[in-house]
Amino acid sequence: MTLANCLVLSFILLGIGVYGIVTRRNFIGVLLAIEVILNAANLNFIAFARFSAQDSTAGAVFPVFVMAVSACEMAVALAIIIAMYRRKGHLDSRLLGGLRG
Amino acid sequence: MHDLLFYALSGLLVCFSAVVVLTPNLVHAAVGLVASFFMTAALYLLMGMEFVAISQVMVYIGGLVIFVIITILLTTRLGEIHLPPTLKQRLWGILVAGTLLGMLLHVTLTSLRPSLTIDRPQPVAAGSLETVGTRLLQPTSDGFLVPFELISVLLLIALIGAVVVARKDPDLQEDDQ
Repeated sequence: MTLANCLVLSFILLGIGVYGIVTRRNFIGVLLAIEVILNAANLNFIAFARFSAQDSTAGAVFPVFVMAVSACEMAVALAIIIAMYRRKGHLDSRLLGGLRG
Repeated sequence: MHDLLFYALSGLLVCFSAVVVLTPNLVHAAVGLVASFFMTAALYLLMGMEFVAISQVMVYIGGLVIFVIITILLTTRLGEIHLPPTLKQRLWGILVAGTLLGMLLHVTLTSLRPSLTIDRPQPVAAGSLETVGTRLLQPTSDGFLVPFELISVLLLIALIGAVVVARKDPDLQEDDQ
């Protein structure tokens, strides 16, 4: 277990998440793929904190903030999804143009 | 022993993450996400970061995934509505993800390689519950008290905003009943 191993693992997770964002047609599926990517980011933080940081404790604090912000993001995103489902009756991202800016 | 455990856990983590992305049923995807979060928490424990592992289980598995599962059950009729990706989407996905992964792996394994092999001896209990908890609430300049309080305000704002956005619109004709 070295820093390079952890980095490769989180890159693979990032690739899986990006594939999910591109291929999922349901909005909730896209959100789940984003969660996979955030998981990879946290893993990166922890790996650098464990293997090369001057101050490992600060590195262990930061993922907690990432988690809190991603919880906020999920709450708002799921609320938007529920509101869109009420209006349209489906969540197919190919047929919903309402969120286009 | 540590290495073996690391490889086993990472293999499972990659498999469960692939389940999250590939399975057509969204309920199965959410359960796969729970499993992958557990594997990540185990990896954090393996690296000696107890605090992050516990907050991973509590915040992600205990809170966020439950939230997602409830929304899936509300909007997709038990996950039975499937929207399979088109061929074009699959090709684009493989292209984008493959390119990204290839570039990152290339850079990491060639030019960054020498700087990544250092393994500093870990100070004992740098990520333990007590150390991180104390550091998080320290009012001194290297503590994290102000961001911690700001995060709680942000959570409050996000929850109020979520309620406002998801509230029933009285002017709108409901057609799903």
